[in-house]
Amino acid sequence: MLLKIAWKNVWRSRGRSLVVIGAIVVGVWALLFGTGFMNGFLVGYMSNIINNDISNIQIHNPEFKKDFDVKYSIENGKEKTEEIRTWEGVKGATTRTIVSGMISSPKKASGVQIRGIDKENESIVTSLDSIIHEGTYFEGVKRNPVIIGSKLAENLKVKLKSKVVLTFNDGEGNITAGAFRVVGIVKSSSLAISEMYAFVLQDDLTSLIGLGDQVHEIAVIIDPQVEESVIIDKYKSTFNGDTAESWREIAPELAMMDEMYGSMLYVLMGIILTALIFGIVNTMLMAVLERIRELGMLMAIGMNKARVYFMILIETIFLGIVGAPIGLLVGWLTIKYYNVYGVDLSNYSEGLESFGYESILYPYLESNVYFIVTIGVIITAVLGALYPAWKAIKLNPVEALHKI
Amino acid sequence: MSVIKAEKIKKIYQETAVPVHALNGVDITIEAGEFTAIVGPSGCGKTTLLNILGGLDHPTEGKVVIDNTNITDMKDSKLIDFRLQNIGFVFQAYNLIPVLTSKENVEFIMLLQKKDKAERDKRAMSLLEEMGIADKANQRPSELSGGQQQRVAVARALASKPKVILADEPTANLDSKSTENLLDMMAQLNKEESATFVFSTHDQRVIDKAKRIVTLEDGVIISDVSK
Repeated sequence: MLLKIAWKNVWRSRGRSLVVIGAIVVGVWALLFGTGFMNGFLVGYMSNIINNDISNIQIHNPEFKKDFDVKYSIENGKEKTEEIRTWEGVKGATTRTIVSGMISSPKKASGVQIRGIDKENESIVTSLDSIIHEGTYFEGVKRNPVIIGSKLAENLKVKLKSKVVLTFNDGEGNITAGAFRVVGIVKSSSLAISEMYAFVLQDDLTSLIGLGDQVHEIAVIIDPQVEESVIIDKYKSTFNGDTAESWREIAPELAMMDEMYGSMLYVLMGIILTALIFGIVNTMLMAVLERIRELGMLMAIGMNKARVYFMILIETIFLGIVGAPIGLLVGWLTIKYYNVYGVDLSNYSEGLESFGYESILYPYLESNVYFIVTIGVIITAVLGALYPAWKAIKLNPVEALHKI
Repeated sequence: MSVIKAEKIKKIYQETAVPVHALNGVDITIEAGEFTAIVGPSGCGKTTLLNILGGLDHPTEGKVVIDNTNITDMKDSKLIDFRLQNIGFVFQAYNLIPVLTSKENVEFIMLLQKKDKAERDKRAMSLLEEMGIADKANQRPSELSGGQQQRVAVARALASKPKVILADEPTANLDSKSTENLLDMMAQLNKEESATFVFSTHDQRVIDKAKRIVTLEDGVIISDVSK
């Protein structure tokens, strides 16, 4: 009957209860959508960089990353890559020959990282072929094709079929140059792909470097359920001497963002639920102050303080129990809808892309977030009830009974 | 056999700028089956005495024994349970739980006493029948007249099978017909079930029905007459 009284008490002041329930619905919805939105932002950004640029794992000669000297290549890089591809949990692996240099058009020049790639395997590892915005993926130009990013093309003022010259130090340390023709222009929110890379065929580059069949980088993409450390450990135990790093080590700023996302849910939840607590405290305090005489009567006839306290607590939890599922449902539907159709931020695309973000966001939430939010709302309701319930049990029955 | 025995009860309210001496050494004994009215002018200490006799308030001095239990220094938490098991209250403003029906209001006190559902149902209905409002069992207080609400309140007070029922100005908000009906029913319960009633009142109709009249003035008993 205590539950029944508490439930009925919730609806004694229908309008006021609906306002609090509405606040809970909006709070839960905002929490879910806000978290999903931020999640979409970060995960989209991170997966874009991991899947289109740095990959899950990179392997180098330990000396290579110090100053990108072409002579520090991975010994038997191609054979090692062949073997890695056969490992369980590996989706793809590719080799790259990398050299720093300059790209110049008849009008402008720019510093660039020249990446000699294995055409077929690169498309498996980084899906480079899927982000071709103009032109083709190394098709249609027989000699020295190059693919560059849209921003770089803009800077150099070059178009498809334009001729560019790549200049760099060869294996002997001499400056060498090669004429290349733009076969494709890629568009990506990754700043590196868009502005800093020039993709050429590996054989074209190695012949210009003149040190033979050199591999400076092995990039590995793995199944999502496989931990990078498993493949790295396997590599280290199979092959000696190379440096194998996960994306967390290659791009520590991404790892930091990943960790930040984990705590962001709690920060957002803390802010919204704290605001909600004030609403709940206010409502329940009014509910208690309105019923002083009734509460006095209950204590006078023999309802002990624990029961009075519990009754106020249940009333508040009921508000949460009604509001939270509606908020969860609305939040879930909103996330589902925008997860399919995306949130179009193209009005801000220029600004977003300059920071490496996509202009269409796909919010998403892991199912445990709904659980965490539900627990959060219940805790909020309980916390919000503590002060009003304490006020209720502090009433003196004699004084309360004579309250007008 | 005495149900309530109060000795040398003094109550001084210190909260005001000038301390108020509400009771100045009251001695009163209520025997089982009595139908007693405590009367006197406003401010004479009737309600204060009733509150102290019912364990709702502590005396500044003196001793209150109910059914051989000294409740004078009993802790509030224990007093609540003591009231639940031993005292029935009827208030001037009925003070029913507005969200419950008449029957649920009567049942509620038995629920607090942890009586089982079947017993609660049976006793609640039988009390409502005795009070002549069985047909209002499923109606909420807001759907009842003042007289009917007060009858539900009396049924609620009786539901816990208390040693004594303390009624503070129970007829103050009722018209004469409702007052007459209520008093007749309480007198009948007193006679047939030996229920002990103590009223605080200045309603002459209650005074006329009472078997014993205790008159208070300035916090002291100035007369105690049994009819």
